[in-house]
Parts: sequence; structure tokens; C-alpha cells
Amino acid sequence: MSIFAVNYLCREVLRDHAFRAAMKADPATALAPLELSDEERRCLLAGDVGQLYRMGANGFLMNYLARFEVCGLNAEIYNQRMRAVKVDEIGQPVA
Amino acid sequence: MAKIVAGFGVPHTPIFPHFVKRDGPDCEIAKLFGAQKEQLAAMRPDLIVMFDTDHLNTFFLDALPIFAIGIDKSFRAPNDEPRDVPNYVVPSLPALAAHIRAAAVTAGYDVAMTQHFSVDHSVIVPLHFLTPDMKIPVVPFFISGHVPPLPKAERCYALGQAVARAIEAWPEPLRVVVMGSGSFSLEVGGPRMAASRADGVPDPDWAARVIKLLDDQKIDQLIAESTQHRMLKAGNVGGELLNWIAMLGAIGNRKPTYVAPQMQNGHAYGVWTWN
Repeated sequence: MSIFAVNYLCREVLRDHAFRAAMKADPATALAPLELSDEERRCLLAGDVGQLYRMGANGFLMNYLARFEVCGLNAEIYNQRMRAVKVDEIGQPVA
Repeated sequence: MAKIVAGFGVPHTPIFPHFVKRDGPDCEIAKLFGAQKEQLAAMRPDLIVMFDTDHLNTFFLDALPIFAIGIDKSFRAPNDEPRDVPNYVVPSLPALAAHIRAAAVTAGYDVAMTQHFSVDHSVIVPLHFLTPDMKIPVVPFFISGHVPPLPKAERCYALGQAVARAIEAWPEPLRVVVMGSGSFSLEVGGPRMAASRADGVPDPDWAARVIKLLDDQKIDQLIAESTQHRMLKAGNVGGELLNWIAMLGAIGNRKPTYVAPQMQNGHAYGVWTWN
């Protein structure tokens, strides 16, 4: 369940101001020591929150990436990428 | 003995303190919370017990209780940086909180506890508007309303009843107000956000239905309809309705004094007083 690491680091962007600053300055370096799958790391660095949602990451937590504008995200970009995810009527991703 | 004197249903939108600071005392949010503040003051509460869903701040996915209660002489807030909310220390009553927990466990509700804790906007935003002096002790009671599986609505209602019995068995003559914090239909940060917003109201019909059932005092019907599927269909925080349902269990099946909708946010401001 390594998607836990994605959810965890999203909350760390809120709580750990040094980590937040590091993610704003150089996300690849900030993420380097974390245990992430290659796909998770690629998606995070690309700000591909839609794919991370499909992989099980929590939308509420990923919203911190937009709020604090890391990984190339801001509110509008995040909104567009997340809204592009196809979901069923209870919000679960569908193919 | 302690007695429950009122029930309140409150929203907790984290940007609301900023909006009120920006837009002043005549804006809709300020007026709706202002009306509740007057109602609350008239009840002269000695304690507020607030049913609330933590937004993965007090707890997290590494240890996520379905039910939990905060037990300490005070707690800090907010821990999630909502805009224009000062840092508060909220007093609490740890002996009474521990008594509620023990009574709930005895009644069959396995309630976790947290001590030396802080809370997020979902507790402090309503208190910021309703009790800004932070003189009234608050016991937060956490219900997992965001991360499925959600507890069942009927169980949350019965939990509220058990909490009420515990409060009413407390020997001090405290006047207790019970609150439920949260939305009926809201998606935060998920795919069902509205365009160019950080949130959205995926199911306004459900929010209107909840408000109608509250107004009509059809609590059994509300509980029957509030399935996990129905609440999740209303948004990724739709399970916050469970906090209102637990509050209703605590106050008994009563007609509301009023339920004021704020449909653009999928929530309402509710007051239940009697006597």
C-alpha cells in the first residue's frame, strides 16, 4: 500500500513547513528520500493528480499540493486535472 | 445532574472566517452564524459536546478510529491553517469526557481516545463564530465521516442517545449544548469539484432532502435514507451528515427551532431549543 506514502507526504506539505519549502524549491530532491513507487514519483513530479487519484490517493489530501502550489500545481490547474478524472456516482474512478 | 438544553447543527467551511473578515458583519455567513451565536448565548451553556469529523489532522490514515473522543483539560486549534483563524486554546472537561467514553464503551460503542491533541477547522471554525472568547469548555467527539467504510447512520443516532444518557448521569448541574458539525453535500479536492472552485456540491437535491426531513422532524426517514452510498454520492465529505445525526440522537426527536439552508455550500445552520 505505498499510496499511503503519497497521502502522507501531502499532509506533510501542510504540517511541515521545511518540507513545504523544499517541495516548492525542488520537488525531485525533496521526494528523493521517500519510499515511493516509480509511478507515484513520476506523477507527483508531473503534478498528475488525476492519475494519483486513480491510483487511490486521497483528493482531500492532494488538495494541499494545490493550496501550497507545489509540483507545478495551483488551484486552477489542480481543478482541471482532477475534474478530468471519470468517476462513478460515489466518486470512485472508472476506466 | 447535567442536562442537555439545546442542539445545534453547524457548518465549518474553512474559508468562511476569511470571507467574514473581508465582507463584514452584514454578509450572509456572518448573519447566519450571528443568529446561532445569539441562540447559543441564550442557552447559557456550561459545556458544548461537538460531534465532528476530523479531516485527517487529529488522526490520520495510519490510525483512524471510527469513533473517538478528546480527553484533556484543553486543546489547541487550528492545526490546518485555515485563513484568518487565530490560534486558540479551547478549555475542556477531561473527567466528563472520560465518563462519556466509559459509558459509551459500556453501551457497546468502542470509542478511541486522544489526549494532548489539537483539532482542525471542522471544530474551530464554528467555535470561532459562536464562542470566540473560548470560555465555554468543549468536548470533541469524532465520527469517521470521510474515509469509507462509514459507520451506519442508525448506529451514530444510537451513539448520540448513549452520549446523552452519559451526560444526564453526570452529577454536576451543567447545562450542555450538543453540536453536529458538517455538510450534507460537498466534494473537497475530488473530481466532483465545481469548475474553478476548490469544492463543489455534487448533490444539491440530497442537501435539500436532508433539510426537509429535519424540518418535518422525520428523523427515522432521514436515518433510513442516509446510507453510505447516498452520503458518498453527495460528495467525499457527505458523511459529515453523521455528526448531525448523532447530535439528533443526543437531543431526542424534536422539531427544530429553525434550519437555515445555505444551498450553494450544501449545508445548513440548525438550532433546536426547547423549554
